[in-house]
This record gives sequence, structure tokens and C-alpha cells, in this order.
Amino acid sequence: MSTLHIPATERTPELLFDFAANTFSLKGESYPENIAEFFGEPVGKLKEHLGAQAGQRIAFHFALPYFNSSSAKTIMGLFSLLDQAAEDGNDVLITWTCEEGDDMQEMGEEFAEDLDAAKFELKFLE
Amino acid sequence: MGLEEQVLASEMFDLRDTLGQQGITFCYSGYMTEGILLGIGNAIKTQMQLGDADAKVTKGVFAVFVEQVQNVIRYSAEKIGNEDSSELRYGILTVGSKDDVPFVACGNMIETKDAERLRDSLTHIKGLDRDGLKALWKETLRGETPEGSKGAGVGFIDIARNARHGIDFDFRKVDDAYVFFTLKALL
Repeated sequence: MSTLHIPATERTPELLFDFAANTFSLKGESYPENIAEFFGEPVGKLKEHLGAQAGQRIAFHFALPYFNSSSAKTIMGLFSLLDQAAEDGNDVLITWTCEEGDDMQEMGEEFAEDLDAAKFELKFLE
Repeated sequence: MGLEEQVLASEMFDLRDTLGQQGITFCYSGYMTEGILLGIGNAIKTQMQLGDADAKVTKGVFAVFVEQVQNVIRYSAEKIGNEDSSELRYGILTVGSKDDVPFVACGNMIETKDAERLRDSLTHIKGLDRDGLKALWKETLRGETPEGSKGAGVGFIDIARNARHGIDFDFRKVDDAYVFFTLKALL
């Protein structure tokens, strides 16, 4: 599968899904006009791709300074997909970049609480 | 300057003054669109940054503003057009600060049949502490999207989590079919 790259807009994050390298990232504010229109296809492709991986090293990087409540639902779904991939025998690392003490730190930690197999790392902006 | 012009200016000044007395710095009443959300949202962020507001408070006000406006765009019962082509939904939004407590308040028509469910849901949310809100937020995110919801159905919980000084809500009967609903978040 080729690389999927959607540049950031004022209200949607930069989406970079490098399927061959198994590295994925979402960077920027996320409050799309239509959540399904923005995330539907990429998340569908990711789900399909992850389901076919075994024994791979997979990295997903989140750097979201702000996201709305419908984006939160998508992010939680992504954490769940990644955790499933880890349970299926892949080495999965989720990194979450935010400012220290920001609400986004709390959000990242809350999503991470549900992880059973995937690793989670918080990174603070300087 | 004609007398008419003086009346015109007085009327607008009085309206501005009324808003000012309530601490309102932004007010929009009309059909809401995603473009309006983006434009007013940027103005709110800029105004708060220029006013040296705490970065956390600014983010909170912005987050509540987005959820409030998206609620109107998706659910206000006062609308023109239809869902299949293009529709516009009406609401009124105010942003401001009173006694150093920033607020975001929003009002829109809802159908009378939805009022009780909404009141129950908000009463429940208002009664929860931070941990309770967090638990309900995760539960709602994990669960199926409620019937009749076009978003994640977590907007109100999100508003309450951001409202460090709490939320207030109220309902006013308009006629048999409609109720005017208002939600105010204090940050």
C-alpha cells in the first residue's frame, strides 16, 4: 500500500500514514467539519493494513494540540486498533506529544489507560 | 446628522451597552455554519491571547465554543433547507467574562419531546465530579453513538470537563412544539 499524506488545514491535522515503513502520524488541531469524511477512508485503510501485520515494529505518533469531541472518538478507535495489532504479535509504540501540564497530557494518559499490549510514551514539547 | 441617524446609533449603542454590562465580548445570533465557527473561533483565540489570558483558559473557552456551535449546526430545531442538500440552523452564542470568570453561553430551539431527555442528561453531567466526568466521557466514547446523534454524543461531557467553574442550563417553553434551550459554561 502506498503512503497516504493529507496536508494540515486550519482545522484538520496533517495525516501521514507510511504503510511500508509502518509509521503513522497525526499532527495538528482536529475539529473537522465532517469527521467521517476526513478520517473514514484513512482509518479504514489502516485497519485493513494492521490486520495483515505480524511480528512487525509499528509506530504511531500523535501531536494534537487540540481536538474536538468527535475527533476524540476517532482517536480512541485508533488506540484500540493499535492495541489489537500489538496483541496480534506486533511491537507497537504509540507516542503522544503535548505541552507538559496541558489538558492534552491528561487526554493522552486517559486513552493510554485502556492499552493492554501496545507501548505508550509521552513526549513534552520544549 | 439627522434625528433618524441619532436614533439608529442610539439603538445600536444601547444593544452594545446591554451586551457589555453582561461582560459579553462576542455575540452572534443567526444561522450558524462551519465557516462562522472557524472565523469567530480564530477571533476568540486572538482576542484572548492579546488580553494575556491564561493559555489553558483560552484553550478551554475555544473547546467549549466549538462544541456549542457544532451542537447548533447539527441539532438546532430552528432551521431552513433540508439535510439532503443544504441546511442552516439557528442559534445564539455569547462569549465573555464576568467577575474574572470567562463564560461561553449558547441557546437554540429544541423540540419539546427532546427536552426531558436533555434535562436528565445534563442534570446527570452537572452532578458529576472530575473523576465521574472522566469515567462517563470514556464510557460514552467507547459505546455506540446514541440514536439521533450525528457526532460522538460526548459534546456535553466535553463542555462540562472544560468548565472548571461549572455549567448552568435552562429551558423556556416557546409553544407546544418547541422549547428554547440554553447552556452556559463557566471556565
